[in-house]
Amino acid sequence: MLKVKGLKAKIDNKEILKGLNLEIKPGEVHAIMGPNGSGKSTLSNVLSGKKGYTISGDITYLNENLLELEIEERAHKGIFLAFQYPLEIPGVNTNIFLKTSLNAIKKAKGEKELDAIEFLKLVKQKASELKFDEKILSRQLNVGFSGGEKKKNEILQMSILNPKLSILDETDSGLDIDALKIVSEGVNALRNKESSFLIITHYQRLLEYIKPDFVHVLINGQIVKSGGSELALELESKGYESLR
Amino acid sequence: MEQLKIDFNKVIESLKLSSENINTRKKNFNQFIENGFPNKRVEDWKFSDLNQIISSNIENLRLHSNLELNKVDETIFVSKFAHNKIIFLNGIISNIDFSQEDETKVLLTRDLNQNEFFKESNPLISLNNALNVSYVKVTVKENYSLNKPLIIYNITTKDLKSTALNLKTNIVLEKNSSLKLINLFDDNSENNFINIVQNFDIAQDAILKNYKIDNKKNSNIKYCYNNINLGKNSISENFIFSTGSKFIKNEINCNLNNEYSSAFINGIINLTNSQHHEIKTNINHLAENTKSYQLIKSVLNDNAKGIYQGKIYVDSKAQKTNGYQLSKALLLNENTEFDGKPELEIYADDVKCSHGATSGNLDEDAIFYLMSRGLSNQQSKELLINGFLLDAVEKITDEEIKDLIKKMIGITE
Repeated sequence: MLKVKGLKAKIDNKEILKGLNLEIKPGEVHAIMGPNGSGKSTLSNVLSGKKGYTISGDITYLNENLLELEIEERAHKGIFLAFQYPLEIPGVNTNIFLKTSLNAIKKAKGEKELDAIEFLKLVKQKASELKFDEKILSRQLNVGFSGGEKKKNEILQMSILNPKLSILDETDSGLDIDALKIVSEGVNALRNKESSFLIITHYQRLLEYIKPDFVHVLINGQIVKSGGSELALELESKGYESLR
Repeated sequence: MEQLKIDFNKVIESLKLSSENINTRKKNFNQFIENGFPNKRVEDWKFSDLNQIISSNIENLRLHSNLELNKVDETIFVSKFAHNKIIFLNGIISNIDFSQEDETKVLLTRDLNQNEFFKESNPLISLNNALNVSYVKVTVKENYSLNKPLIIYNITTKDLKSTALNLKTNIVLEKNSSLKLINLFDDNSENNFINIVQNFDIAQDAILKNYKIDNKKNSNIKYCYNNINLGKNSISENFIFSTGSKFIKNEINCNLNNEYSSAFINGIINLTNSQHHEIKTNINHLAENTKSYQLIKSVLNDNAKGIYQGKIYVDSKAQKTNGYQLSKALLLNENTEFDGKPELEIYADDVKCSHGATSGNLDEDAIFYLMSRGLSNQQSKELLINGFLLDAVEKITDEEIKDLIKKMIGITE
C-alpha cells in the first residue's frame, strides 16, 4: 500500500529525515517510536502533504507517486492524519465541517454525497460508539474542547471518513486512561484486511491497546531498528540510548 | 464649480420652498463650495481622500437628475419576509408602505419646508442640507413597537450617471417604542455619488435595531452619515455589512445623552478588486452608566483597502462608562491595505474602556488541517473566512434578520 524509499526532508535548510525506508501492506499496523526531535511528526506531515519541506526520495501509495498529489487529493485517496495538536477553527461548526469533509471525499470518489439526514444518522452512530457527546458537534470546531475531546474528535473524523491509511501522530499524548481506551477501541474497530495504520508515539502505553504488527525505531531521521510488537517493550525498559 | 452653482439654482427652483428654507440651503451650499469634497488633509479623511476618489471615478459630476421617475422593479424586494417599505428611487421617494402597522402609531412627514437641517459638521452634510430634494421623517409613537421591520430601499437605475444624490431620513422613536430597520442598497447605476444623512432620536426605553446592507457589487461612491441621540435606558444596535460599493464611508456619530443608554456597532467589511471602504465612529459618552460596544471584522482581497476609525469620547460627567472596541482584519494578499485608528478620549476617572486591533493572513496550519480532510484550498479558505466573519454576524440580535444576512454572505448551516 505504502512504500517509502530513501526519503529525505529538509525544512529551513535543516535536514530532518535522512533516508527513511518503510513499507506498509494492506491490513498492517505499524508503530513508529522515537525520542523528541527524531523526525516523527515530519514523517506524518510529509505523508499528508504539508507544504514547506524540500523532499527527495520516493513515496509510492497505491501504485501512485504520492509526492505529486495535493493535500486534499491524498485525503480523497484514503490518507488520514490524526493531528498531534488538532487546530481550533473559530466560527466553523463541527458538524458542518464533518459533512463538508465527508462529501468532498465522496464526491472525489464519484460516490453519492450524503444529505443532512443521512449524515446526522451516521454521525450519531459513530459518536455514540466513541462515547462522544453529540452536543459537542454543534460547537465550533475544536474551540474550547479539552485535550481529550480534541483527540476523540480526530478519531471520530477517522471513523466517519473510513480511510485506507490512517496516520496517528501522538494521538495518545494528553489522554487519560479512559480516553485512551475509547480511542484505541475506535482504532481497533476500523482494523480490517484493507485498512492500514501508522501509529507514531513516544510511549509503549498506546501499543498495549492497539497491538502493532511491526515496530520501528526512528532516531535522527532514520529507522535504526525494526521488529515485532515485543520491540516496544524492549524500548520501554532499555530506552532509546542503546540504539543511538 | 460654476456648473454646480447653476445646478443648485435649478434644483431650488424646481422645489416649492419657503424663503427661509431657501436661505438656509444657500448658506449650506456656500459652505460646501468653500470647502469642497473632503480631502486627505482633513484628519477624519486622511485614509479616504474623497475629493480625489470622486474626481478619478466620476466625470463632470452633476447635482441633479432630470430622470423621470421609473417604475420600481418589485422583484428586488426581499421575499418571504413581511416588511414595511420606504423606497428611494434615484434619490427620490417613490413609495412608502406601512400597511403592516397601526397607522395612528407611525407618523410620516414629507414636507421639505418642515425638513430639519442637520448640524453641518462636514461639507457633505452641508451639501445634503442644500440639495436634498426628497425627505421623510418617521415618528413612532410612545409604547408602539412595529409589527414588522422597515426596509429603506435605496434603488438606482442604470440610466443614472455621474450624478450626486442627497438622501435624508429622520427617525424619531418616542418613549418605549421600537423599530427594526434595514437600509438596503440596490445599485444598478454606475459612477454616481450617493450622499445619505440619517438622524435618529431615540427616547427613553426605546430600541432601534439598524442594519445596513451594501451587498450588490457596484461602482458608485457613497457616504452615509448617521447621527444617533440616545435617551435614558435606550438601545441602539447597528450592524454594517459593507461589501458592494466601489467606495463607501459609513460614519456614525452616537451621543449617549442619558444614563443607562447603550450603543452597539458591529460590522463586516469584505472587499475584492480595488474596493475601498471605511467605517468611522464617534461614540460620545455624555452621561453616567452608559455602554458602547464595537466589533469590526474586515476581509481584504486583491488591491482592496479597508479602514476603521473608532473613537470613544468620555465626558467628565460620564462616570461608570463601559466602552469597548475591537477590530480584526484578514489581509489575503500583500497588495491589500488596512488602516485602523482607535481613539480614546477620556475625561472621567471611573471608567472601563478598551480597544484592540489585529491584522494578518489566514492561518496556514488551519488550511492544512482542513485540506487534510479532503477540502480544496478554496473551500478551506472560504470556510475559515466565513468563520472569521460569523463572529460579527452572531452579534445581530434579531434572528430573522441574522438569517437573512447569513444567506447574503453565503454562510450556510
